[in-house]
Amino acid sequence: MSDPRFDIRRDPILGEEVWLATTERGVGLRVVPTDRFRESVAVVAVGYGSTDLGFSSEGAVHRSPEGVAHYLEHKLFEDEDLHVFERFGRRGARVNAMTGFTRTQYYFQGTTAFEDNLADLLRLTARAHLTDDNVEKERGIIAQELRMYEDHPEYRGFFALLRRLYAEHPVRHPVGGTVDSIAGIDVAELLACHRAFYRGGNVALAAAGPIDPAQVLEAASAWDLAAGAAPERHCPEDLGPADGTPELVPIALARPRLLIGLKERSLVDDAGERTVRELTTRILLDALFGPGSEIREDLHHRGVVDDSLSASYTSERTFGFAVLGAESDDPDRVATELRSILSRPLELAPDHLERIGRRVLGSYVRSFDSQRSLAFGHCDEGLEGLEPFGTLERLRSITSEMVEERRRELCRDDSFAQVLMRG
Amino acid sequence: MPDTFAGFHAEERASVPVLWRRDDRFKTVRVTFQARRPLDCRAAARSLLPALLLQGTRRSPGRPALLRRMDAMYGASVVPGVEKQSPDHVLRLGLDAVAGRFLPGRPDQLGDGLAFLAEQITDPDLDGEGFRESVFERERRQAADYVRSLVDDRNTWAGIRALEVACEGEPIAIPSTGSLAEIETLRREDPERARQDFLGAGEPLVVAAGAFDRDEFMAAVDRFLAVLPARCAAPVAGEPAWVEPRPTRRLVERVVLQQSKLVGIWRLPPSDDPDLWLARRLFVSLLGGGPHSRLFREVREKQSLAYAVQAGLDRRSGLVTLRAGLDEQAAESVVAETLRQIDELSAGHFDDVELETARSQLLGSIDSVTDSVGGLCRYAADHWLLGVDRDPEALATAYRSLDRERVAASFEGLWLDTVYLLAPSDTAGSIGERVAEEGA
Repeated sequence: MSDPRFDIRRDPILGEEVWLATTERGVGLRVVPTDRFRESVAVVAVGYGSTDLGFSSEGAVHRSPEGVAHYLEHKLFEDEDLHVFERFGRRGARVNAMTGFTRTQYYFQGTTAFEDNLADLLRLTARAHLTDDNVEKERGIIAQELRMYEDHPEYRGFFALLRRLYAEHPVRHPVGGTVDSIAGIDVAELLACHRAFYRGGNVALAAAGPIDPAQVLEAASAWDLAAGAAPERHCPEDLGPADGTPELVPIALARPRLLIGLKERSLVDDAGERTVRELTTRILLDALFGPGSEIREDLHHRGVVDDSLSASYTSERTFGFAVLGAESDDPDRVATELRSILSRPLELAPDHLERIGRRVLGSYVRSFDSQRSLAFGHCDEGLEGLEPFGTLERLRSITSEMVEERRRELCRDDSFAQVLMRG
Repeated sequence: MPDTFAGFHAEERASVPVLWRRDDRFKTVRVTFQARRPLDCRAAARSLLPALLLQGTRRSPGRPALLRRMDAMYGASVVPGVEKQSPDHVLRLGLDAVAGRFLPGRPDQLGDGLAFLAEQITDPDLDGEGFRESVFERERRQAADYVRSLVDDRNTWAGIRALEVACEGEPIAIPSTGSLAEIETLRREDPERARQDFLGAGEPLVVAAGAFDRDEFMAAVDRFLAVLPARCAAPVAGEPAWVEPRPTRRLVERVVLQQSKLVGIWRLPPSDDPDLWLARRLFVSLLGGGPHSRLFREVREKQSLAYAVQAGLDRRSGLVTLRAGLDEQAAESVVAETLRQIDELSAGHFDDVELETARSQLLGSIDSVTDSVGGLCRYAADHWLLGVDRDPEALATAYRSLDRERVAASFEGLWLDTVYLLAPSDTAGSIGERVAEEGA
C-alpha cells in the first residue's frame, strides 16, 4: 500500500508505520493504519491554550479575558442540528476535549463508523455555533466546573505556586479562568479567538486504527478551516527571578502540603532541542526523587518524606517549570532537605542512563499497544513539527554531564518558589 | 473445569485455575495471580501488605533495588496490590511487560517476570515473624496519614461517607484500607499473617493475555506455582446479604468546600439472572451513563444544575449510585429530577434512539476491552468472580437481544436507601462536622 501524497516513516525498532501529509490549508496529518485493533482514535490539536491571551488582530493587539480557550472548547460541542455528544453516542464512540496551557485537543475513540465520527470531529472544530443564549447558558456550567477544581487542594496550590514563579506570564492564571474572568466572555470574544487560532497552519490531526490513510486525508482536505498560521502572539517574556517569599495558602487539610517550584530562566525555541532538555530534566528528577532513587529512599528512611513526594516538569516554548510536592507534618524540614539536594552536584551511577534507556525503550514498544497513545503522541509531535520516532535517538544523545549541567541551570537560588497549604 | 472460560483457554495447574489467551496483536504480556478472601476485620493488615512487599526481598532488600530490577526488565511492572471487591478482598500480583521478542537479545521477560513476582510474594525481607520494625512502622504511619488525608479530596470523601452511612454493618462499608483505629493498632506480624492467609487460604486464579507462547507460558506458571506455599483454599461466600427496604435516610455533613457533593444510593433486589443485570446496566446507561444520558441532558445541559452528574451500578452489591457536584440549593432538585427520570424510564418512556445510543455505548466499551491486554485480563477475572462464563462476543450479543420492555422492567424493586450531601461549612477547619440528620 502506498500513496504519493504521503511520506511514510517506519520506526527503527519495530518497523511500524506512520503516514505523514499536509493539506492545502496547512493541516499537518499523521495516520497510523493498523488492523491489529478494533478501535480507532482520532485527535485534533489546536495550538491555542490558556496562555494565548494576547494576539495581533486587524493591526491592533487583542487582549482576552482568562479562560477563553476553555470556554471556546466547551462551546464547540454545540451544534444547531443535533447535540454532538448524541451523534457520537449513537455510534458507540466516546468524544471529549481538553484545554491546556498551550493547546486544545478534541478526540474520539470508537469501533464503528470511523469516517462519520471523523467528519463530525472536524465539523465541530471548524465552526463555532454561538448565540447570546447558548454562551450565557454555558457560563453556569463552566462556573460549576471551576468550583469543582477549587475543591482540589493540588489545583489551588499549583496555581498559587505559578503566581509566585511568574509575575506576568499568563501561565499564572488557571486554565479555565475564574468565575469573575469568564463573566466577561461573550459571543464576539469567542468568535474573534476562533477566527484567529482555529486555522489550518495552527492545527494537527492524527488518527490510529484500522483506517485508510487516504480517506483521512480526503476528510482533512475537505475540513472547512481557514487557511494560514496563527496570528502573532503577544506574551510577556517573563524570565526574571521567581518570588521566593514562601506563601501560605489556607486550605483545610488533614496534613500540610508543600509545593516547591523551579522556574526555567531561559527558553528554547526549537522543539527538538526543547524535547532533549525535557528528557534531561526528567532524568535529573528521576535520579533525585524517582521511586528507585537512593536519595529518595534515604529521605524516606529518615522520615523526612513519604510516598506523597512527587516531581514533575513542564516545558513549553514560552515557559517551563519543575514542581516538587510532598505532604508532611514538618514542611519546613522537607523544604530545607529538598533544596539542599537540588543544590548539590549530582553524580549519576554508572549504569543509570543504561537503566533509563531500557525503561524508555520498554515504554516506547508498549506505546504501540495503545491506539490512544499512538494518536495523541503523533498529534503532539505533529503540532510541534517534530520528526516521528525520534525519542530514543534524543535519549541516546544525553550524557551524565548534561544532566549535571541541567541541574545547575534549573536549580538557581533565585528560581525557587514555595507554597505551603495548611488549615 | 471447562476448557474455555470467558473467551480464554482454561486449564488447572497445581490445583489453580489458569485462564490464558495468546494474542499476537499485542507487543506486551500481562499475567495476574490473584487470591480472594472475604472482606473482614483484617482489611487494614491486608491493605498494608503491598506497600511492605515493595520494600524489597531477601535477595534485593530495599525498594530501589526492586525498581532497578524492573528497569532492567525494560520497565516491566511487577507489583502486588490489594483491592476491595465487595464482599471480597483480593490480593493481585501483576506482571506487565514488553514481550521479549520485541527487545534486543529476546530476553525471557515472561519467565523472569514471574520468577520476580514469586520472589516478591514468597520471600519478603522479614525479621522473624513479621516485617522489619522500622519498615513496618514507617509504612503503617504512612497508611494512617493516607486515611487521615482522604477527607482532603472532597469528592472521594463524599463517596466514602455515603457508603458508610448507607451500608453500615455490611462488609461493603468496610474501607479497603481498614479503619484508622485498626491501622493504628496493627502489629508488624499482622501483614505477614495476611500474606500467609492470602497464599494459604485465598481462592486462587491466574489470568494471562498477550504475546506469548503457550508452552513457555505454562512452564513459567508451573515454576511460579511450585514455589508458593501449600494451599487449602477456603470457599468465599459470594453474593452480599440482601437488605430489606427501609425509609430513606438523608444526611448533610459540612466541610470547607466550594461545591457541594451529592451522593444518592439506591438498592436493587438480588438476582441470579445475568441477563437481568445486563438490562439493569443498560437502564443505568440511559439514566446517567454519560453525555447521552437523561441526567446529563436534563440536569446539566437543560437546567444547568450541575457540571458533573452521573449514575453507576455495582453488580456485586446491587447498589445504584448517583454522583453530582452542585450548589447546595440544587441538591433536592437533582434528587427529584433523578427520581422523575427513573420513573419515566421504568414506564418505558424513552425512544429508540436513546435506547440504541445507550446500547451502542456499552457495545463500544466491550469492543475496547478486547483491544488491551489489561482490559482482557480484567474482563476474565471479573467474570470468574461473578461465575458467568461469557466471552465478549457473547456479551455483546446478549446486550443486543435486550428489548425495551426488559430494560424498563429491570429496575423493579428499586428503592432509595440514602441521600448524602457534603455541603459547605461557614467555619474553616470544621472537617467532618455532622450538622443535620433527618429520617425519611
